[in-house]
Amino acid sequence: MTGQDFGPALDDADDRTIAGRAADGDVEAFAILVRRYTPLLRAYARRILSGTASVDDIVQESFVTAWQRLPELDDMGRVRGWLMRIVSRKAIDEVRATRPHLEVDGAEGLELPARPGDRPDQRAEQRAELTALADALRELPDAQRESWVLREIGGCSYDEIAEQLEQPVSTVRGLLARARKHIIVRMEEWR
Amino acid sequence: MTRDDSTGSGGLGFEPEDLDGHTMDELGDYLDAGRTPADPSIDASPGCRIALDALERLRRLGPALLDQDTAAEPQADENWVRSIINGIARDARAGRRIPLSVAEPDDDLGITEGAVRGLIRSAGDAVPGVLIGRCRLDGDVTIPGAPIRIDVEASVPYGLPIVRLTQRLRTEIGDRLRTHAELNIAGIDIVVHDVRDLPKGGGEER
Repeated sequence: MTGQDFGPALDDADDRTIAGRAADGDVEAFAILVRRYTPLLRAYARRILSGTASVDDIVQESFVTAWQRLPELDDMGRVRGWLMRIVSRKAIDEVRATRPHLEVDGAEGLELPARPGDRPDQRAEQRAELTALADALRELPDAQRESWVLREIGGCSYDEIAEQLEQPVSTVRGLLARARKHIIVRMEEWR
Repeated sequence: MTRDDSTGSGGLGFEPEDLDGHTMDELGDYLDAGRTPADPSIDASPGCRIALDALERLRRLGPALLDQDTAAEPQADENWVRSIINGIARDARAGRRIPLSVAEPDDDLGITEGAVRGLIRSAGDAVPGVLIGRCRLDGDVTIPGAPIRIDVEASVPYGLPIVRLTQRLRTEIGDRLRTHAELNIAGIDIVVHDVRDLPKGGGEER
């Protein structure tokens, strides 16, 4: 697949090796990076966007940007988190294109539907917890969900989230606190 | 930002009156700091402890949710991967141009820095088990004969003597660069950044 006639499979090499080669212009190494992280980046974009939008386009654009900027990355071993940052920026940009004004106070009219009762009984507890978390996330207003996902899944700092959402840090803190409260309370109710 | 968000908390309260005057924002920071320095007014508060436990559990669930979502995503479709690869600018990594000596003064021969990196990677392929990562050419490659240092990162298999591998790699790189790039190599620094297990049954020796 890599065009090597012998030797260790590049496909299994560590991130630092693969990303380093890609930064130096090895296109096949970059293809490995694309294969390795497409599922993760799709999943992450989906959580930020809550479904509807075209995650494939976002992930594709992100990889194009990544190819262009990879030589600037200081620590090639951290390419996973770096790719996630690129995806979150693209995803938030996408959101902003369709929703010019962030509804920071969107929690006001939040409707709380009863949770569907089709939850299988035999599901492992962790799985049930994750499902509950996913459901609670879906209920959140966009800005709260985006803040929470960037923070707790993407590992972004408050400053990074503020920059991406174009909001003051104090607003981000408020969004996060409300998102956390909402998720915790809902997960507790569903237990 | 401490306004009630009307979630109908059903017994769980996360407002300052439930948290002995603290806020969820503060408790988040306290967790981020590893609960240090210890704040007795938080640690002694039953409401805060409930909230901290819940926040901590939630924090563990974030990465787990991403793992689960990722596992549920299909592998990248190969056509889609190719469409990305075909769309990127391959020449973006050409780098500096390295002149080669020519028989006629009017001839203008050279190779790119990117091509030299390709030579270095292929030198790695000649040493079983070695994978070259990033490499840099340190020095003014645009001036013929200028001393150039080569910095190379490599991943090597577990169980083979690293010194021997790197010596062989150094020889392979040096030979190729002197032959094909006419570089005046002042030194080749190899940093082994990864030692990995070989896949079972993978021929580690030719």
